Amino acid sequence: MRFRTQLKDTKTFSKLTASLSSLGKVCWMRLEYDVVRFTIIPEQGTQVWAQIPVDTIFEENTYEMESNSEAINIEINIANLNRALRSTFGSSQSQLRLTKKDKMPLLALTVLSTDWTEGNMALATEEGTTDHHDDQPGEVTGDRRARERETRITQEIPIKILHESAVDGLHEPHCPDPDVHIILPGLSQLKSISDRFNKLASTDSKSRQQQTGLGLGAVDNSNSNANSNAQPGSGLSSSSGPKLELSANMHGKLKLAIATDELRIASVWSALVNPPLDPAHISEQQLSQLPSERMRGVGEDDESGWAKVRIDGKDWSRVLSVGRLSPKVVACFINETALVLYVYLPGSWNGEESCLTYYINSFAA
Amino acid sequence: MTSLTLSLGPLALVKLHDALTCLSKFSDTVAIEAEHSVTRVDGRGSYQTQSQGPERFFCQILIRALLSIFRGRVDRNKDTAVERCEMEIHEDSNQAECRLTVKMICGLGELSQTSRVQRKLNILGVIKSYKLTYEPAAIQHAVFDRSKTTNQWTADPRFLKQIIDHFSMSAEQLDICAEAGKATFTSFTTKITEGKEVLKYPVHTSVTCDRKDFEEFLIEENMHIAINLKDFKAVVAHAETANATVTARYTLPCKPMQLAYEFEGIRAEFTVMTRGEVDGEEVSSARAVIPQLSQRPATAQAATPAPISLRRNETPRVAPSTEMPPPPARARSIRPLKGGSTQENLTPRSTMDRPLASASMDFDSLFVPQDDDRQWDEMNDEDEEEPQDILGWDASGQETFEPVLRDIEPDFSKPAASRKKSRNNNDEMGLPPTQRMSQVRGFGLFD
Repeated sequence: MRFRTQLKDTKTFSKLTASLSSLGKVCWMRLEYDVVRFTIIPEQGTQVWAQIPVDTIFEENTYEMESNSEAINIEINIANLNRALRSTFGSSQSQLRLTKKDKMPLLALTVLSTDWTEGNMALATEEGTTDHHDDQPGEVTGDRRARERETRITQEIPIKILHESAVDGLHEPHCPDPDVHIILPGLSQLKSISDRFNKLASTDSKSRQQQTGLGLGAVDNSNSNANSNAQPGSGLSSSSGPKLELSANMHGKLKLAIATDELRIASVWSALVNPPLDPAHISEQQLSQLPSERMRGVGEDDESGWAKVRIDGKDWSRVLSVGRLSPKVVACFINETALVLYVYLPGSWNGEESCLTYYINSFAA
Repeated sequence: MTSLTLSLGPLALVKLHDALTCLSKFSDTVAIEAEHSVTRVDGRGSYQTQSQGPERFFCQILIRALLSIFRGRVDRNKDTAVERCEMEIHEDSNQAECRLTVKMICGLGELSQTSRVQRKLNILGVIKSYKLTYEPAAIQHAVFDRSKTTNQWTADPRFLKQIIDHFSMSAEQLDICAEAGKATFTSFTTKITEGKEVLKYPVHTSVTCDRKDFEEFLIEENMHIAINLKDFKAVVAHAETANATVTARYTLPCKPMQLAYEFEGIRAEFTVMTRGEVDGEEVSSARAVIPQLSQRPATAQAATPAPISLRRNETPRVAPSTEMPPPPARARSIRPLKGGSTQENLTPRSTMDRPLASASMDFDSLFVPQDDDRQWDEMNDEDEEEPQDILGWDASGQETFEPVLRDIEPDFSKPAASRKKSRNNNDEMGLPPTQRMSQVRGFGLFD
């Protein structure tokens, strides 16, 4: 088993890992000959299946991968990888490889970083050096002139190697054909509005709880962050935020709404694109039977032309953190059931490759 | 009756706040030590600012309580309108309570440059008074003899910060090593994680940089020395606010390291414990003392007054005799801090059981060398009752071959010179430790 590569686009790689780690820490990373797959299946909340062509993040001609099973399956704390990748910023060379230390498998990231020092101002103010005649030999080794500095950084991330049989049972979820598919507006805008709604709803529920005297404990829970599985059954669903209603139709409209007992707000986007399906993959007859085509036939003002999902506000906000990759996102609505997001990295649009697929369950009303 | 009053201007207030923030990373309480011209604020490091006090005064106080006073009032980027901060302590033996009074005087005396409306407000002024409880305390300084330093490097705090930035948040220890003219800083964690939770293992990070990046770099090659990373972070963060270059001085692993910097009349010295493998053969005398350092041993000592110091007995090379020599003459009274029982258990046994393997070590360090720790473990196999990390306080004054920690009651009333002299007299029998074993726990060495 062997894996070694130079990193190509560490910014993208870092943003990718950052987006993934917002959903869960444990990541299944699968190295294949052409693609690298990242999968995160949290205990609750959205799961993500990402498929990244090797040359998106790695230097393809340095990519070495050898395995009996034609793939290497790694379990890694993706937050650690993300943190380690920060060391690559401003680096001239970074290498990632599979290695072992004390029988423990590691993913080792080696970074050769060169940066330009601005000169040591602090020392320069010391006696005698104010006149910038730096070539005079001193007792100190520090070079006060601005110069190139070379630093070598090694980050060793502990991992688990998964046997092929351990990942055999893991499959991407199967979903019914979508009722509506639509390209989402800019994620930064969508995120800021979603976050605003979340905040309004949680302050609203907070004030109501205080009125009804539910006490501070419950309030804290409603605000507490995700992954607080430690407090199950503490009244409110502990790891969840307020529920957002997201709906869309086949006439380019998307609606984000929130409803509590005391407030109802909705934002509506119009003139969005409902992307046509690729005729190469689907026959004319199949196409006509798709639910989305039926929905397209429904009048623009007809309520029944909308597909709706109820999603957790906090979870949605974490999903939207993928916006840092400035991707194109196709949202597929399966009415009252699920929302599937196909997130395409810039440059891979319509190429079937760099794609992150998010599976978001709809909550019952 | 003792009384201490001091007054801090806005700049000094910021400095005090920064120092307290830094010290709060080391300890919950801060010790304040006042002399006529110097106030020393001490967590496990020391810190000084100008003040006036009638006599030498010691106390300790909860850092959090003291810091909460400054909250919102100290911001180097904002005009927080605190004109002056006055602190007062009046210690009266008739009063049971110990109180430190802190007055924040806001908005007085800024009349000249302000508009009429503001002037009106300012004339009113606001004085906020706080009363904090303190404890009288005997202050123990970690002793560090700079003249014996064999390794030394100096670096810009921003450079050190850049190194630190590569380390993971959960890393606990920092290993420093020089190899072929390069310095390598490696973060690691000693915590043993369950085998199944591999993903919770911390990331090991090592950063190698050229010696040219240091302003001074005199380190023995291939010697690994490790310190607590959190300590190092706290030191660098504080040095960075002051833009003061940090100097590290040390000799061997398991001996203290001192991180020091000076700026604007403030001298910060952090004496931290280290860990690492000691090569048993080598004796410190074989290592050359850095010459330029020994130039100022006298001033260094004077500058680092140590009312109490630790001195471990030298372990002699000759075989120990089981008969104890008579206790040497004492200059000061000795009292056990932890009761005599532990001491009685430990001292004789360690004298007899201790093999001479570690005899070549110079036990003048603050900390029990690692080799030594293992010796303790072996003994525990024989006797389950003895918790391995309890060290006894030897009040007997008997000469032993074990680096036993002893306590000697400080006598602060004596002038420094005579104290020093009496310390020399006491060299034979050892001086008390600066840290309790219980305080050292959690840093990896004694876990």
